[in-house]
Amino acid sequence: MSQRPIVRTFTLATAAALASLALSGCVPNTGADAGATTVDVKSSATECLVSTASAPSGSVVFAVTNTGDEETEFYLLGEDGKRVVGEVEHIGPGTSRDLAVTVPAGQYFTVCKPGMSGDGVGRTAFTVTK
Amino acid sequence: MIANLLIGLREGLEAALVVGILVAYLVKLQRRDVLPRLWLGVGGAVAVSLGLGALLTFGAYGLSFEAQELIGGSLSIVATALVTWMIFWMLRTARTLGSTLRHDVDSNLGGAGWGLVLVAFLAVGREGIETALFLWAAVQATGETTLPLLGASIGIIIAVALGWLIYRGVVRINLGKFFAWTGFFLIIVAAGVLAYGVHDLQEAGVLPGLHSLAFDVSGAIPPGSWYGTLLKGTINFSPATTWLQAIVWLAYTIPVIALFIRVIRRQHPKPTVSATAEAPALTSQGA
Repeated sequence: MSQRPIVRTFTLATAAALASLALSGCVPNTGADAGATTVDVKSSATECLVSTASAPSGSVVFAVTNTGDEETEFYLLGEDGKRVVGEVEHIGPGTSRDLAVTVPAGQYFTVCKPGMSGDGVGRTAFTVTK
Repeated sequence: MIANLLIGLREGLEAALVVGILVAYLVKLQRRDVLPRLWLGVGGAVAVSLGLGALLTFGAYGLSFEAQELIGGSLSIVATALVTWMIFWMLRTARTLGSTLRHDVDSNLGGAGWGLVLVAFLAVGREGIETALFLWAAVQATGETTLPLLGASIGIIIAVALGWLIYRGVVRINLGKFFAWTGFFLIIVAAGVLAYGVHDLQEAGVLPGLHSLAFDVSGAIPPGSWYGTLLKGTINFSPATTWLQAIVWLAYTIPVIALFIRVIRRQHPKPTVSATAEAPALTSQGA
């Protein structure tokens, strides 16, 4: 019986953490928010084609399609090219996944990582305007 | 299809192995009566993951990047703590099993049985939402191609089959060695989960040092290869490991293994309980 408090504490702590995250971490999906800009991204073995090089600040949804034959990841990096502003992983070949971010005006970089290793391919500047 | 299969395998493997060991453990203790509860934990985690994943994929709202990493990171750390508690609890139970106080084992398991259910729930649920998001993305793609869904499903089925094989394998080990072997394995698994959680928190910017790599062997062990998949899926080995991940991994593994060895040494090296454990007295209990 002495184990029960431990179990209960864990359960409560986990539930509380998840609930607060679920409340604070929700972002609109593609098409659900008229104010969001949708940017299409095609990730292949050698390229990371982004449909537009800029978007207005606020909600931006990157709809990433894996056109290659390896698992891929997509990153939105900060001005220094290192800080991860947003990332979507586990994009299998032939599937699409969204990265929804709320971004202030500034300079960013987009990059894909087919095969999940190295510095990635198709690093491109991305501008968020005011 | 192969790449999708490997993702499914990688995401499902660790959970399948942990659940396989938990089942073997309960069977070893002659406590099959706790199994339905265990499956309740597993089923609950699968249902919650698939449900939340569907809601986030097809509903109006998705999960922000930060929230996703924070959930992954914190659940990993909670899972590590729980699995560590379970390893030592299993050892202690194994010891009392050899003594005459079997009644204590019975009443202890009543409470801790739910602890095991929580471990099963977290083992599956930890990566469950992420896996569900990947699965639903494959479902979404079925308008154009069913190959991703087929690949992902086969991968998960292989993971479950490997979990079953692990169960079949370890359940044959003699009871004394059983706790030592599964304990060591689970410590390495838990250490990997902890390091994985640290990486999630580094990506979210909560912890520093995302770009300070301790080593990068991606060339020798590509994450997309089958062996990279197996290493990632079982012990969470990341070919590009940050310094913070490596330090946390060592800071967890060394003292926990040292403590584990001490606890094992304190026990009688040759427990002759495998025969007495069959005694019918063990099977009667009230939860």
